[in-house]
Amino acid sequence: MADLKAVYSHSRNIVTRKTGNEYILVPVANNIADMNSVFTLNETGAFIWEHIDGERNTEDLIDCLVAEYEIGREEAESDVVSFLEDMNKYLIINI
Amino acid sequence: MQDVYSYRESSVGFYAYCMQRDQIGRMRSYNLNIAGYNIRVESADDGPDLCPGQRFRRNITESAEYDVRIRVHHGCIRPDEDAERLFVAPYTVEVNGYKIRRSINFWSVYRQNGDMLLLTNFPEHPEKKATLRFSLGLREWDLYIENAGNETDPLDYPLDGLILYYLTAINADIMIHASGVFYNGKGYLFSGVSGKGKTTMAKLWDNIGAEVIHDDRLIIRCNDGLFRMHNTPIYRNDWPKSATLDRIFLLDHGDDNRMSPLREASSVSNVVANCIQHNYSQEMIARFLGSVSLMCSKVPVARLSFRPDRSIIEYILRND
Repeated sequence: MADLKAVYSHSRNIVTRKTGNEYILVPVANNIADMNSVFTLNETGAFIWEHIDGERNTEDLIDCLVAEYEIGREEAESDVVSFLEDMNKYLIINI
Repeated sequence: MQDVYSYRESSVGFYAYCMQRDQIGRMRSYNLNIAGYNIRVESADDGPDLCPGQRFRRNITESAEYDVRIRVHHGCIRPDEDAERLFVAPYTVEVNGYKIRRSINFWSVYRQNGDMLLLTNFPEHPEKKATLRFSLGLREWDLYIENAGNETDPLDYPLDGLILYYLTAINADIMIHASGVFYNGKGYLFSGVSGKGKTTMAKLWDNIGAEVIHDDRLIIRCNDGLFRMHNTPIYRNDWPKSATLDRIFLLDHGDDNRMSPLREASSVSNVVANCIQHNYSQEMIARFLGSVSLMCSKVPVARLSFRPDRSIIEYILRND
């Protein structure tokens, strides 16, 4: 069960680059880029990424997604929670 | 017949008088133009004579301008105990498609008091070792060579490629594992790690009369928004070559010829995986990503699986 009150922030060990409406995330370990483990975010992922700011909690992110894309809350919750779980698993965001 | 090159003393101060099978001649200094970078190599007062390898002969220029000057000394310097080690590269060779590690410490890079130290061995000259002291902000570099003898090629493998790599990093350019060809006014780049078909692709284009810029490694530079690919002197008979960059293909094996366009983040993430980069700070990584992003926004990128015969060329030209 996802904790909807959890607040996430971007990891400091990531270099990002926005290209069009998408993002490239490059993990950095000991200041070395791992170019074989680069993540890309589509437009929805990019939107969630841009709203992760260390202040909004998961519920707030879901609200933002619902407002932006006019989708159902259930679908938005599923998208946000699954995105956060993936990003957290790869240490791209921190609680 | 062996090529013989003889340089007389000139206004830029280099001279040569010694002809050797694999070297151009002995000199105290010379200027190279590689991929548009002007590199001046100069022996220090107490340094060895310089005998650049034959592969550099066509890159030697009389231009007095330089982007970087490398002064060559006898001896060695070692990093201090508190120097920060940034990289250690093992020496691997490929035998029948398998990568075999021959030694753990081939070359390494340290950061020390604002300078960079690059320590390297030379597989073709096991007795020789070198340390390059350089800076990404200054254009005066020092190269210390142990056991150089009275004369030496200061840019033996792997030092030439490493110096070129850091010049690309300084200039926000791109070094990539790729072959490149120029045909009917267009430049096509084929990128992939070892075994993906870069050389095969270059040979196929060579067979129809295309100019092969290189079959393994390219430097890509942007000038006024236009991207060009350049070769680097790896083989004995390389000529300096460059061409416009009009298409980028990321190679894959396949039973059929198929092209799948990549866009935005996906094109960038796939291209960077084939680039040569030893960036050691987030700022450098961000800059490098910026260069690749710009290139991918200007030059179409596609995945390409192919049958290794002439049909792939017809397929590319038909879909161009």
